[in-house]
Amino acid sequence: MSYLLNRLLSIVLTLFLISAITFGVTNILPGDVAMMIMGTQSNPEALEGLRHSLGLNDPLIVQYGRWIAGMFTGDWGQSLIFKAPILDLLGQKIKASALIVVMSMAIALAVAVPLGVWSAVHRDKWQDSVSSSAALLGVSLPDFFWGIMLILLFARTLGWLPSSGYADPGVDFGLAVEHAFLPSLALGLGLMAHLTRMTRSTMVGILGQEFIRVARAKGLAERTVIWRYGLANAIGPVMTIAGLQVGYLFGSIIVIETLFNYTGMGWLTYQALLNRDVPLIQATVFVIAAVVMLTNLLVDLLYLLVDPRIRLG
Amino acid sequence: MKRRQFLSSTAMLMGSTAVFSFLPGVSLAQETPVSGGTLIWGHSETVQNLDMHQTGTASTNRVLQNVHNSIVTVDANLSVIPMLAESFEESADGLTYTFKLRPGVKFHDGKTMTSADVKYSFERCKDPATGAVNFEVFNNVAAIETPDDLTVIVKMSGVNAPFLSRLAENGAGVIMPEGSGDKQGTTPIGAGPFKFVSYEAGHQVELARFDDYWDGPAYLEKVIAREITEPTVRLTGLRTGELHMINDIPADRMDEIKADTKFQTVTWFPLNWDFVNLNHDFEPFKDPKVRMAMDLIIDKEMLLQGALWGQGRTTASPSYPTSASYNSALANRPQDIEKAVALLAEAGYGPGQLKVVFKATTNYPYHIEAAQIMVEWFKAAGVDMTIEQLTWADWLSQVWVNKDFQISMMNFFTLWEPDFLYYSLWHSTGAFNYRHISDPVIDDLVTKARVTVDPAARADIYKQVQQRVFDETHDIILWFRNGSIAAQTTVNGLDTIVHPNGSNLNFHKVWLKA
Amino acid sequence: MKRFLTPKALVGLGVIVAILLIAILAPLFIPDAAANKMNMAARLKGPALAHLLGTDQLGRDLLYRVMLGARTSLTIAGLAVGLSIIIGLPLGIISGYYRGHVDNVLMRLVDTLLSFPALLLALTISAMLGPNLQNTIIAIGIAFTPFLARIVRGEALRVVQMPYVEAARASGTNDLQMILRHILPNIMPQIIVQATISLAFAILAEAGLSFLGLGTQPPQSSWGLMIQASRDYLDVAPWTALVPGAAVALTVLGLNMFGDVLRDVLDPRVRG
Repeated sequence: MSYLLNRLLSIVLTLFLISAITFGVTNILPGDVAMMIMGTQSNPEALEGLRHSLGLNDPLIVQYGRWIAGMFTGDWGQSLIFKAPILDLLGQKIKASALIVVMSMAIALAVAVPLGVWSAVHRDKWQDSVSSSAALLGVSLPDFFWGIMLILLFARTLGWLPSSGYADPGVDFGLAVEHAFLPSLALGLGLMAHLTRMTRSTMVGILGQEFIRVARAKGLAERTVIWRYGLANAIGPVMTIAGLQVGYLFGSIIVIETLFNYTGMGWLTYQALLNRDVPLIQATVFVIAAVVMLTNLLVDLLYLLVDPRIRLG
Repeated sequence: MKRRQFLSSTAMLMGSTAVFSFLPGVSLAQETPVSGGTLIWGHSETVQNLDMHQTGTASTNRVLQNVHNSIVTVDANLSVIPMLAESFEESADGLTYTFKLRPGVKFHDGKTMTSADVKYSFERCKDPATGAVNFEVFNNVAAIETPDDLTVIVKMSGVNAPFLSRLAENGAGVIMPEGSGDKQGTTPIGAGPFKFVSYEAGHQVELARFDDYWDGPAYLEKVIAREITEPTVRLTGLRTGELHMINDIPADRMDEIKADTKFQTVTWFPLNWDFVNLNHDFEPFKDPKVRMAMDLIIDKEMLLQGALWGQGRTTASPSYPTSASYNSALANRPQDIEKAVALLAEAGYGPGQLKVVFKATTNYPYHIEAAQIMVEWFKAAGVDMTIEQLTWADWLSQVWVNKDFQISMMNFFTLWEPDFLYYSLWHSTGAFNYRHISDPVIDDLVTKARVTVDPAARADIYKQVQQRVFDETHDIILWFRNGSIAAQTTVNGLDTIVHPNGSNLNFHKVWLKA
Repeated sequence: MKRFLTPKALVGLGVIVAILLIAILAPLFIPDAAANKMNMAARLKGPALAHLLGTDQLGRDLLYRVMLGARTSLTIAGLAVGLSIIIGLPLGIISGYYRGHVDNVLMRLVDTLLSFPALLLALTISAMLGPNLQNTIIAIGIAFTPFLARIVRGEALRVVQMPYVEAARASGTNDLQMILRHILPNIMPQIIVQATISLAFAILAEAGLSFLGLGTQPPQSSWGLMIQASRDYLDVAPWTALVPGAAVALTVLGLNMFGDVLRDVLDPRVRG
């Protein structure tokens, strides 16, 4: 119980730090919210009036307090470029990004785990060389390069899949998956390569351990040894690494969503950054950091459930 | 048919520019339009604030053109004609405007339009608190009277000659139902042929047919404007059949798409115009000789080829090409590096002595390419130029607002109304004068035009303004850029889609063949 | 050293040396004028004798541009990683060496910063400072710092508990000497491995940033910038994307191969 309480306290503290860092960094941004609102209509007097009415002349700490209070009361403010409530925008876009993050993770794990195990079992044989080289190549190619290749192959040459755009999963799930597939694959390929390497090295470590030798000595079938005993112990570390990659995925979606014109969180963040939409930058950056932090926590907790060796004292 | 006439007259004036290419075998003879269907349009830009008064972006206007109607509009010759007003009258002294409203016009909420709605809309636009981009249209408006439900009288405290024509611009002249102001930004409501259904930022705007439209219901049941800013991606969407039509065909692919019998294309002229800006506060550019040298360095025809793959036409005047004020006597200065070098030397800048920074915005990728081409010419003329690439936000704050730049480049959608164009851009106090231009000759001319009621005399004044801008090389006007649409062959009525202003698209008469 | 000179290491090293040579030598042999020379008659031309790797949308030679881009990419990546070491190394060592409250506070901050995806952090910083070469270096450098600080701290913590450190402490060595003589040399191998891997990530980050228009600025050649420009011409001129893309991939691959081997040799614990 006290462990959970501690974790909970630490989450609150971290969320607070995340919000403070986000707010601090975005407030050093040059450029002026009032100017962005008025655009080509800006003139000094009107700007000053608008700054005043937006509370931009208040001390930073007051603005920060207002921002935090707003988040609790569901008032996240208005996006300057879209003139829409930020909370609504986030709701729409998180749905879109969740779809590609989950799909890419699923694609990556589905291939990486078997391939990594296979590679570890055939350690230092040709199978290992082939899969390890492929994985090394995979981690070396930037994901937007994968994206471009996929557009060329599937959308342009074969014409199988739409090259871009987003469809609402709430309206037509099949169509949504179709649109999400290429961006997910572009994200998933790099991740797949990374996880294959991690699964392989974890499995290599485990297969060299005493209890595996014992299991083999007891005459258990090799298949059982590898999958029941080996993989069962590897799944925890692999999951942790996969969880840590969620942060990497949320960085990559900015590039990939822009490339595929897939309008999710990454696209929204990029638009906010390009247009100096400070309220929207704060909201998107905060949400992404919070999601990454919470995912890592979730993975930690799952790890406790999966790994029998760690019990809380 | 008005718009088709417009297109053909443009073509005559400028030499074959509006081109319709249809599938061979599909006759041009009018087929009977069919009602129904959803048209999916791949829109080249993202829509932003949906409040027609507050929004300044052409992209938003392009979509909302279908939701709102204006009190008056323009025909192919850019003369003001009735729309929601059945007739209008300007008193001889130019101080009273009387509008007779069309009876029985319905708003999307079912209410019937009355003079109270007109008064509300005008006052909302005029009120600085609304933040309307066109609020100065209502300069000098002293009172708006509504003697009965269908009559609106606008009283002026002084002459404002461009008043009527500026009302024909959608932003200032749209009529909204009384009291709807607060909702316009998120759920626009008007008296146009289509009702607003939904909007998801960066994804799409959905419009549905308004059955009670005063000019008869549209054919299409729905129009979905899907926002696809990547040109290649837009084209792929058209090829895979996901989209019925796209606007702004990538310039380098124009020939290929035109030759493709699977599609029909519409191109028109002009969509917008571009110019290179010199900051008159930057020491070297205070000297007209240096400014002229800059002009002589640039080969406009080659630049058009390089940056826009030739999809446009060079011009030395920014006036709408079919308008009365277009000064056709002007011609771009041809490139003459030698003369430029000589002029620079006369002004005291030997080879390598003039260093300039070119601020271009990534919002228009062809500006970046144009800048890269120009760098090489400037080098040849001994001018050391570097490029600074700015996001749209940075360009707005640095160049537009703070006027902190040396050379830049911008485009404007055809501001066909000459007062709006010349006063805003070249008067020393003009709202769009971000180049620090201060020329008493121009100031006098554009001020005089504002109180000159005779159209011919006004047009003549504006021609003098163009001459002056050219002689002094206040700016370097480059070209008009073409507009274009590509569509599946099932889309009909495309000859009616382009608004005379060259930017807006109107789906009222567009229909889909099953 | 025998183990070090595996074929993988040799290939990796070869690739890195080749690209380094190009980065150093190309600007000496290819004048800017040649790389920026436009030819409107030869736009988007495929690889041919006149232009071995084809031309871009302004008719510029892609081979020249990709070779000049090597210097930009390597300079940015190298300096960015250097910056992250300059900030991250002292932070990590202080945290690991002194432990206690200092460690708690510093690592809480570092962990929080790790919740921000590195690319997002770099993009935000770059947008904040305004995109140019120097700010791209700062943005990537800062974005990588928390990660490096975390690793250094872990290593310092391990070394601090070694018997010989305890012994030195007992003999009255002061903190500074201790860090310089005992801690630093012992964590160096890990830092070298980490720097190699970070270099690969930094090259990817630079490409990503420039691709989004928040990195290197034209007309300077940069691989990310070249890929950005190629987007509009992907289906008519795929080589405009493939050439710079391959350059990025090759460099990162070389660094990763070399990094793998370095890790095997220098870090005995993770020997696979």
